[in-house]
Amino acid sequence: MEFSLLGAALIGVGLVYAVLYWEARRGIAADCTRDLWDIALSAAVVGLLVGRLAAMVSNGVNPLTHPADILIVRGGVATGPAAVAALATTAWLGRSELWRVADGLSAASLAGLGGWHAGCLVRGTCLGTPSDLPWAVAQSGSTITRHPVEIYAAIVLVAGAVILALLRYRSSLMPGAAAGTALVVASAVRLATEPLRPAIGNGPVGWYVLGVVAGMGVVTLSVRRRRVARES
Amino acid sequence: MRRLILIVALLFLLSACGSTGVDPGAVPELPATTAEQIEAIINDSPGPVVVNVWASWCIPCRSEAPLLEQAAESADGVLFVGLNVQDDQQGARGFIAEFFPGAPIDHYFNPDGNIPVALGGTRGVPMTFFYAQGGELVNLHAGVIDERTLALQLDEISSR
Repeated sequence: MEFSLLGAALIGVGLVYAVLYWEARRGIAADCTRDLWDIALSAAVVGLLVGRLAAMVSNGVNPLTHPADILIVRGGVATGPAAVAALATTAWLGRSELWRVADGLSAASLAGLGGWHAGCLVRGTCLGTPSDLPWAVAQSGSTITRHPVEIYAAIVLVAGAVILALLRYRSSLMPGAAAGTALVVASAVRLATEPLRPAIGNGPVGWYVLGVVAGMGVVTLSVRRRRVARES
Repeated sequence: MRRLILIVALLFLLSACGSTGVDPGAVPELPATTAEQIEAIINDSPGPVVVNVWASWCIPCRSEAPLLEQAAESADGVLFVGLNVQDDQQGARGFIAEFFPGAPIDHYFNPDGNIPVALGGTRGVPMTFFYAQGGELVNLHAGVIDERTLALQLDEISSR
């Protein structure tokens, strides 16, 4: 059963690599692509671990007395703490040239997230809440048609990645603008699709709002920095 | 970095060695049951029924227990039945005290683990049966259940 999760993760990681490779071939951050790849993988692993630990603690399972439970990823990963840990890892590993690293990973991260969501096709977990829309799909053995919510998320995220990569290739964006935009897109996609996801209780909507606000803050700062630089 | 990894690994090992079961406290003994009794509960229930098969030694069961507890508390009109298998009373009560405290789940004891097989499942744990009202088996989920699958199946059994 866990192999389907691995399949989805491989699609995500594959898309991260593909975007970094494409950008390197076109001279965007070509001199540090290897570093970006290492940073992206490290951030993903640390994010997954912290997210799993946070999910265990919030579920009342003590990771110190039940360390083997950490491996049961299907038991839950807390999205907010995972994202914060991944961002903190990226910031720490890329601290010598933070904006270059953050911008360099922006399109690749969006593509990777899109790949992870598209991995629902491998996992058989694309469907969300009931819907009567023409493209709604019923799972086998059911008469209830549902939103293919993971496909919605995958399409928007991959489209965002393509647009961001093209923007980075064709124009010189302000440092931090690409990273902030990626954070806004990733958080907004989760925020918008959350009501369409089947869930027990409420999802971590607060974390997604925080992501949108933080991303917009980064974009605003980079625009103001550019303006100040121009005026001086 | 290598030293840090070593320290974390050692802490993990030490904590695993020091792991002890939780005192069952006020959790009463689980009533022993039969396949016929469980089938009667499923068929006579006024609403849909979820039967979760678990054991105290089963690691994935610990992972899904808080989710099932949350679902049992929030899903109106759905009866949650816990079936403890291949276990002993002390372990089962300790597990309930630690992972199902106060959850509206009716737990039963089946030490030889033959009931899930009689219901159409296997001897593996965890396993979750989803029944619509009237006793129709809608889905049998083998292995640890995630939030999405549980929410979808609750939708399915509630809509029939």
